[in-house]
Amino acid sequence: MAPAFTGADLARRRAAARRLGWLLGAVVLVIYLIGLFIKR
Amino acid sequence: MASCTLETQTAQSAEVNPVAWLLRSLFPPSALLLPGAASAAYNFNFPEPVTPIARETLHIHNEFMLIITVLFVVVFAIMIYSMIKHRKSSGHAPAKFTGPTGALQWFWALIPFAILLFIDFVLMGIPAVQAIINMEDTQTKADMVLKVTGMQWKWQYEYPESGVKFISTLATPRDQISNAEAKGEHYLLEVDKPVVLPVGKKVRVLLTSTDVIHTWWVPQFGVKRDAIPGFLRETWVLIEKPGIYRGQCAELCGKDHGFMPVVVHAVPEPEYLAWVEAQKAEAKAAAGGADRTWSKDELLAEGKAVYEKVCAACHQPDGKGLPPAFPALAGSKVINAPLLDMNGKIVKDSHVDRVMHGKAGTAMQAFSASLSDVELAAVITYERNSFGNQMGDMIQPAQIKSLR
Amino acid sequence: MSTATTHTAEHPAGEYHGGLLRWLTTTNHKDIGTMYLTFSLIMFFVGGLMILAVRAELFQPGLQLMKPEFFNQLIGVHALVMIFAALMPAATGFANWMLPLMIGAPDMALPRLNNWGFWLLPPAAILLTLPFTLALFGIGDGALATGWTFYAPLSVQGGMGVDFAILAVHILGISSIMGSINIIVTIFNMRAPGMTMMKLPLFAWGWLITAFLLIATLPVLAGAVTMLLTDRHFGTHFFDAAGGGDPILFQHLFWFFGHPEVYILLLPVWGLMPHVLSTFSRKPTYGYKAQVYSFIAIGLLSVVVWAHHFFTAGMPVPALVYFMFSTMAISLPLAVLFFCWIATMWKGAMTFETPMLFAVGFIVLFGIAGLTGLILADVAADAQYHHSYFVVAHFHYALFAGGIMGVMTGVYYWLPKWTGHMYSEKLGKLHFWLTVVSFNLTFLPQFFLGLAGMPRRIPDYALQFAEFNAISTVGAFVLGISQLLFAWNIWCCVRGGPKVDGQVWEGAEGLEWELSSPPPHHSWEIQPVVK
Repeated sequence: MAPAFTGADLARRRAAARRLGWLLGAVVLVIYLIGLFIKR
Repeated sequence: MASCTLETQTAQSAEVNPVAWLLRSLFPPSALLLPGAASAAYNFNFPEPVTPIARETLHIHNEFMLIITVLFVVVFAIMIYSMIKHRKSSGHAPAKFTGPTGALQWFWALIPFAILLFIDFVLMGIPAVQAIINMEDTQTKADMVLKVTGMQWKWQYEYPESGVKFISTLATPRDQISNAEAKGEHYLLEVDKPVVLPVGKKVRVLLTSTDVIHTWWVPQFGVKRDAIPGFLRETWVLIEKPGIYRGQCAELCGKDHGFMPVVVHAVPEPEYLAWVEAQKAEAKAAAGGADRTWSKDELLAEGKAVYEKVCAACHQPDGKGLPPAFPALAGSKVINAPLLDMNGKIVKDSHVDRVMHGKAGTAMQAFSASLSDVELAAVITYERNSFGNQMGDMIQPAQIKSLR
Repeated sequence: MSTATTHTAEHPAGEYHGGLLRWLTTTNHKDIGTMYLTFSLIMFFVGGLMILAVRAELFQPGLQLMKPEFFNQLIGVHALVMIFAALMPAATGFANWMLPLMIGAPDMALPRLNNWGFWLLPPAAILLTLPFTLALFGIGDGALATGWTFYAPLSVQGGMGVDFAILAVHILGISSIMGSINIIVTIFNMRAPGMTMMKLPLFAWGWLITAFLLIATLPVLAGAVTMLLTDRHFGTHFFDAAGGGDPILFQHLFWFFGHPEVYILLLPVWGLMPHVLSTFSRKPTYGYKAQVYSFIAIGLLSVVVWAHHFFTAGMPVPALVYFMFSTMAISLPLAVLFFCWIATMWKGAMTFETPMLFAVGFIVLFGIAGLTGLILADVAADAQYHHSYFVVAHFHYALFAGGIMGVMTGVYYWLPKWTGHMYSEKLGKLHFWLTVVSFNLTFLPQFFLGLAGMPRRIPDYALQFAEFNAISTVGAFVLGISQLLFAWNIWCCVRGGPKVDGQVWEGAEGLEWELSSPPPHHSWEIQPVVK
C-alpha cells in the first residue's frame, strides 16, 4: 500500500503553493496597474 | 427583352445560398406565416444587394456558407457513422489506439488540417483581403461626400458641397408602437425626412456622433460603420438602382436604440440635383427668418413642432420626463429662472445654456450644433410657456444668433 | 500559520459546525464545490427568467410588456449573470470537486482562499441585481442598461446601475482570480507522486489554461471598469474625446478580456469532453498530447485576436487583415480538438447514457458555433453579420450549446460520484432531447433574423422579422421550462436513488473513480498510485 500523506510533506507543499500564490497575485496587481496607465 | 430578364433572373438565382434554398424548400414561407402578421416577405439570406460592396459580400457569404456546410456535413457524417457502427449493443469490441500509428495514419490524420489551412488562408482568405481593400477604399474616384451624425436617437445628414443639412427621425406614430393602432407596412423603418442620394455615384460617407456610439447600417448597401463621438469614421456606397432602402442603428445607444431608422432614397442624378436646389431654397428662406422679429404665437407653434421631433423622446410629450435619467421640464427649476442675465448674456447652467450647450456626462446634448437659430429660439420659448411653466417671456432667433 | 496550513488535515471527518455556520466557514474542497455548483444553478434560473421576459416582449412587434429602458437592463444583466454567476462558478465548482480527486491530493492547496473566493460571489450577485429592486422603491433608474459590454460613452452617461455593476464586476473578478490562483498552485504543488504534467488529466489541463487566462485578462477588465468609474465620477477623460480620450480605447481593453473570456468559459468543458467520450466509448483518449498543445495554442491565440469584436469601429487595413487571419488561425487547434473527440469515439464500444448524449450534442452544436465563428472572422462578411442577430445566434451556440450543455455533461457524469446515487436516466434523456430541440428552435431562426437585417438589442422590430421572433420565443420558453427537469433530477439524486460504487461507469478511467462514491471527507489520505 502506498504511504499516507505526511504532515511534513503537506506542509512543504502548501508553503510552496502559498509562495506561488502570492507571486501570481502580484502579477495580477501589476497587470491591473499597467492597464490603468494605458494610453492609445 | 424577355430573354434578357430571364438571364438576369438566372444570374441572381445562381447567387442563392444552398442552405437557404434547402430551408426554403423545407419550410415554404406560407407554412410559417402566423395569423395576424402583416408581412409575408422574409428571407433566409441577405436582402437584395444594391451596391458593389453588398454584392461582393453576399457572394462571399454564400461561398463561405457552402464551405462550412460541406465541412459540417462531412465531419458529422463520419461521427454519426461511428455512432451507429461502433456501439456496444451491436457487439463492437473497443479498439485501444491513442494516436496515429505509422506513416499512413499520420498522413490521413494530417490531411484534414492541410485542407483547413487551405480553406482558411487561401480559399477564404484571399477573397476576403481583396474585399477589405475594396471596402476601405473610400476616396478613390469619390463623387460626393455625405456626412452622417448620430445623436440620441436620430440621424443628422449633411451635404458639405451644397450646405444642405437636416435631421431625420422616426416617423412611426407612438400609437402604433404601443399597439393602440394597426402597424403600417414600414413600421419602425420610416422617417420624416429621408436622406436622398444619386444612383451611380460613389458617395463617401463620413460618420461621427454627438453623444454615444451609434452604428449606421443599411443591409442592402452591405456597409455598417460606427459613428463615434469626437472621431470621424468613413465608408462608401455606390447605389446601382433607384429605390427606397431602409436600415437601423446597430449599436446599443440607449433607450430608443430600436427607434432610430435609416431611410435612403436613391434617385437618378437630375432628380437629386433638383432636390438639392429645393433644399437650398428652403434653407435660405429659413435663414432669412432668423433676422426678423417673430411673434410669440409663431415661436410657440414652431417650438411645439421642434419639441415633438427632437425633445419629446426623452422629456416626453407632456414634459414630465422620465426621472432620474431624463428630468421633467414641467416645473423645472432650470426653466423657471431668468432667461438671460442683465447684459443679455447666457447665465451658466440656465435654460438657454442647457439647450445650446448640453450637460456633460448626460444624454442632454449641445443643440447649438444641430438646430437653427429659429428652431432654438422657438423651442426655448415653447418650453418656458408650456407644461404648466408660465414664464411668459420669449427669445428671438436674432438673439440666439448673437449668443452663438 | 502552521495550524492553518494543515487545518483540514488535522480535523477528523465529521467534526463539523452545525447548519449555516458549517457552510460559511468550510474549507473542504467538496463543500465549496457544492456551494459553487448550487449558486451556479440558482443564478442560471435567475438569468433565464430575465431573458424569458425579454423573449416574451419580442414575441410580437410593438411594445407590450416593458419600456425600452427596462428591456436594455434585462439583456445586459442577463449576460453578466449567465457568464459571471452561472457559467464561471459552475466550472470553478467542477474544479473544486474534481481536481483534488483527479490529481490525487487531499484537498486544494489553499483552503481558506477557496472559502473566500466563493463567499465573494453572493454579495456580487446581489449588487448586480439590487438596482432592479431599488428602482421599484423609486431609488435610481434601475440596473446597468448598456448591455454587458459597458461601452463608453453610453456607460458614462448611464445611471447608478452602472456603478453597481462596476463594483460587482470587481468583486466577481477578485473571486475568479482567487479561484484561479488556487487551481494553479494546486495543480503545480499537490499532484500525487508519479503524476507528471503529461499524465495530468485533460480536465486539469483545460482548467490550468483557463486559470492563466483569467490571471492575465481579468486585471485588464478591472482596470477598464475602474477607468470608467473615474470617468463617471472623478472628472477623468479616458474615454471622452473632448478631454483627449478615446471611446474605442474602452473597446480594446474590454475585448482584450472579453475574447479570452470565451475560452475561459469553454476550456474546462473541452477538458471534460475527452473523459466523457473515452468513458462511454470504452476506449482511451485519442491524441492526449495534441489536445494539450491545442489548449495551449488556443490560450495564446485568444489574447491576440480581440479586435475582431469591433471590426465596424473602423481601423487601418493592415489591422483588419491581421485580426482576421489571427482569428481564423484559432480554427486549426480547435479542429484538432474536434478531430480528437471524434477519433476517441471511433471504433469504440459506445453506449449513450445521458452524459454521452450531452457530449455528442455538445460536439455537433458547438461545431455550428465554430463554423459560424470562422465566417464571422471575415471582415467583409462581418460588416453584415456584426451587431445583428446572426452574432446573437452564434455566441449562444458557443456559450449555451458549448458552455452550458458542456456543464450539464459534467453534472450528469459526476453527479453519481458526488452523491453516491444514480440520477434518473429516463428524466436525463428527456431533459437532453427537450433541451436540444428547443435550443435549436430558439436560436436557429436568429441566424436568419440576422441575415435579414435585424439588429441585436432592440426591444421592438419591423414586421418582416415577426415570424422568426415568434418561433424563437416559443423555443425559449420550452427551453427554459425544460431546465426544471434538470433541477428536479439533481434534487432527487441528492436526496436518494440507487446506490453506486466508486467506479460508477463501466469504462471510466482515472484516480477519481478509485475513491468511493461519495468520496471520503478528506479525499486522498493515502497517496494514490499513478499508473
